[in-house]
Amino acid sequence: MMSSDAVEENEEESSILVWMTGLAFLAAIIAIFIYVPTERTEGVVQRIMYFHIPSAWLSFFAFFVVFICSILFLWKKEREWDIYAHASAEIGVIFCSLVLITGPIWARPIWGAWWVWDARLTSTLILWIIYVAYLMLRAQSEAGSMRARYAAVLGIVGFLDIPLIHFSVLWWRAFHPQPKVISSEGIGKGMEIGMLATLGISLCAFTLLYFLLMGVRVRQEKLKDEIDRLKRETLYSS
Amino acid sequence: MDYLGFLFAANAFVWGGIIYYVFTLKQRNRALEKDLELLKETLSREG
Amino acid sequence: MNLFISQVSAIVWKDFTIEFKTRELFSAMFIFALLVILIFIFSVNLSVVEASEVGPGILWVAFLFSGTIGLNRSFALEKENGCLMALMLMPADRTAIYFGKLISNFVFLTIMELFILPLFMIFFNIDLLEHLFPLLIVIFLGTLGFCALGTLLSSLASNLKTREIMLPILLYPLLVPIVIAVVRMTGQVLAGEPLSEMMNWIGLTASFDIIYIGVSIMTIDHILEE
Repeated sequence: MMSSDAVEENEEESSILVWMTGLAFLAAIIAIFIYVPTERTEGVVQRIMYFHIPSAWLSFFAFFVVFICSILFLWKKEREWDIYAHASAEIGVIFCSLVLITGPIWARPIWGAWWVWDARLTSTLILWIIYVAYLMLRAQSEAGSMRARYAAVLGIVGFLDIPLIHFSVLWWRAFHPQPKVISSEGIGKGMEIGMLATLGISLCAFTLLYFLLMGVRVRQEKLKDEIDRLKRETLYSS
Repeated sequence: MDYLGFLFAANAFVWGGIIYYVFTLKQRNRALEKDLELLKETLSREG
Repeated sequence: MNLFISQVSAIVWKDFTIEFKTRELFSAMFIFALLVILIFIFSVNLSVVEASEVGPGILWVAFLFSGTIGLNRSFALEKENGCLMALMLMPADRTAIYFGKLISNFVFLTIMELFILPLFMIFFNIDLLEHLFPLLIVIFLGTLGFCALGTLLSSLASNLKTREIMLPILLYPLLVPIVIAVVRMTGQVLAGEPLSEMMNWIGLTASFDIIYIGVSIMTIDHILEE
C-alpha cells in the first residue's frame, strides 16, 4: 500500500494541477467568448474551432501515448504501462467523440452539410472506431496478463495504421480546410495573432485537462488493483 | 451570418461530455471507496 | 533456416490435409462470397448504375467477408481440440506458427478468389481476361495484406469468448486503407489503365503488407504465450 506521505504528496500535486487546469479553462473561455475577434467570413460559428482543434489534438496525443505505453508494456511487462495505456485510450475516445460531434455542428452552417466524406473527417471516424474496438477488447477479456498483452498488440497495430489510413483517404478525396495554423508559409501565418493566442490558450487548457484526467484515472486503476489484491489475500487466508 | 444556436450546441456537447466523464470518474471512485470500506470492515472483524 | 521452413511447411501441410478431407471451409467460403455478390446485385440497380463502377467494390466486399470466415476458422479450429496447445508445445518458433497460418489462409483465400473471378466476369459482363495480369497483382497484394493482419488478429481473437464478433470489429477498421486501395486499383485496372499509373496505391498496399508482417513477427510471441 502507498504510505500516507506519498498519498499526501500526490494529493498536493494533483490539487495544483486542478487549479492550473481550472485557471487555464477560465482564461480560455474568456479568450474565446470575449477577447477574440469574430472571423469575417465564417462568423460566430468559427469559435467552435477553439474547442474542436484542441480536442482533436488531445485525442491524437492520447492515442500516441497508448502506442508508446503499449510498446513499453510488451518490452518491460510492467502493469504500470498497461494502466497508462488503458487510461489514455479512454480519454482519447472521449475527446475523439467530442471532435466528431463538434465537427458536424461547425460544418452544417459553413459547408451546408452535416457530414462530408472528407479525408480528415473520415480518418477521425475510423480512428474513433479503432479505439472503441480497443476498449471493447479490454472490456471483453478478464483482467490479467492476457488482456494486457492483447490490448498492447492492438494499441501498436492501431497506431501504425494511422499514416496508412491518412494517405488512403487523402487520395480518396479531400475537402477539409487546409490547416491554417501550420501552413507552408510558416507557423501561424494564416491566422490573426489574437486568434492564434486564443487557440494556444485553449490548447494549453486541454493538455492540462488530459494530464489531470490521466492522474485521476491511473490512481483509480491502481486502487482497484490494490483492493483486488487485498480481497484475494483475505480469501486465501480465511 | 448568425448561428448562435450552433455555437451553443457545440459548447453544450463539449462541456456536457467533459462533465459527464468527470462524473463517471467520481462515481467509480465512490464505488471503489465503498469496496475499500467493506474490505476494511471484514478485515477488522476477522483480525 | 531450413528448420524454420520445414516447421512452416508442416503447419501448412496439416491445414491442407484437414481441408482435403473435410472440404468444409472452402465450400463455405465460396458459397458465402457468391451470396454476398448476389445480395449486392439485388440491392444495386444495375440498369441505372454502371457495372464497372460498382463491380470492384462488390467483388472486394465478397472477398473480405468470406475471407473473415476463413480467418475465424483458422485458429478456432486449433482451439477446439486443444491443438493450439500442442502446436505451442512443439519446439517450434511462434513465428513459424504465424507464417504457417498466414500461408494457409492466403492460399485458401486466393484459390477461392480464382473461382469467384469467372463468375464475377459473367454476372457483371466485364471482360477480365484483357487485364488479367495486373488484376492478379492487385489481388495478390490486397489478399496478402488482409491475411497478414487478419492472421495476427485471429490468433488474438481466438482466445476471447466472443471471437466471432470481435474479429471483424477489430479487423475491419484497420483494413480501411487496404480496402480503399484495392477497390480503386481494381477499378482502374478494369478501365484499362496500366499499373504504372497507380504507383501510389501499389506503394500504399505494399507498405501495409510489409508493416503488418513485420509487426506480426515482433508481437506474435506475446499473443501465443500461455
